[in-house]
Amino acid sequence: MHVLIINGSPRVKQYSNTDKILEKFTEGLCENNTTYEQYEISDKNQWEDIRKAYYSNSNILIALPLYVECIPGLLMEFLETLSPKNDGTKIAYILQSGFAEGIQLRCGEAYLEKLTGFLGCEYAGTLVKGDNFSIRFFEGDMRDRVTGPYTEMGREYAANGGFNTDKCRAFTGYEILPAHMRLALGILQRTLARTMFARIARSWGCTKPLDYRPYQ
Amino acid sequence: MILIVNTTSDTSVTKEIKERAAGLGLEPEVIEAAGMKISHCIGCNYCWLKTPGVCSVKDDYEIILKKVIHADQLWVISDTALGFLDHKGKNIFDRILPIATMYLKFVKDQMRHVPRYEQRTDIGIICRGEPDMDYLQRWSERAALNFESRSLGVFGTERIKEAVSCMC
Repeated sequence: MHVLIINGSPRVKQYSNTDKILEKFTEGLCENNTTYEQYEISDKNQWEDIRKAYYSNSNILIALPLYVECIPGLLMEFLETLSPKNDGTKIAYILQSGFAEGIQLRCGEAYLEKLTGFLGCEYAGTLVKGDNFSIRFFEGDMRDRVTGPYTEMGREYAANGGFNTDKCRAFTGYEILPAHMRLALGILQRTLARTMFARIARSWGCTKPLDYRPYQ
Repeated sequence: MILIVNTTSDTSVTKEIKERAAGLGLEPEVIEAAGMKISHCIGCNYCWLKTPGVCSVKDDYEIILKKVIHADQLWVISDTALGFLDHKGKNIFDRILPIATMYLKFVKDQMRHVPRYEQRTDIGIICRGEPDMDYLQRWSERAALNFESRSLGVFGTERIKEAVSCMC
């Protein structure tokens, strides 16, 4: 099997969490002779090549971050340029977000199934997983702890041609975090997390408090 | 304040809204955004972590953002693509991120960003074309959760009278 992979993140490849996820995913994907070609929506110079690849491939995987409950505007701008295929092409999706709970991604997931129909293709499922915001801030083992599990999902995709398996559905984790975790995380967010965000902000050259109101 | 952002090139919609709103004694502020330079969100996170509240993309969206933080209602008029808002309509929502902070909290049982401002802005959508209305209603309600506000509904251009009746 050969797979066209489209990284639908508007963030440039170097800083793209979705790209880091795909790095691990494709390790598993390729173990049994599955091949792939990957393009980046963030690079408009690639759009013509992506269009050609869309029309010539029958297995497509679009990986994307959730933007305001659905797909990013830039990815929509690209998709608007495509015509429906109506030739049995399968599209599967990797939908990722910063928020950890599965429920946060369900509205976006629902659109992806509808989108597939508008493109005249067959829906091969969506791999839904949150809690990915930290990827760009981590390196080495710390990053691998977040992205590493996607390697197994690459194997699953290669074996099944999509994500419609129990293993992929379980990959989402908690739909809603249990009460004790919400309590602990709520405290963490008001304390240590704010210190951590402030540290990151300072390293980025930020000189204002993170709750600064520039327009008031 | 009622803010209306028209991302389509059809100004007859905003003309009708203004006339109907005037009949109700309302004077919404209308931004014709079709001719404005409004790019997509590039996901840089600068508005959360480098220049809090300020978007790194320097274009005409700042005009809208400065008004949104004082608006009781934001209505976006959008063309339809692939059953959803087209990219111009979606960009208006994607670029609104600076009104949230990096800080997180739980609202009921789900995590949310802590809002940057006191103002809460309800959102309404007026769509040209043939969107998947049921889905857009669901999306609008979810999107409003992110602003700690409520969805005013999704209306086709044939239902402008109903949409205006929700402007108050």
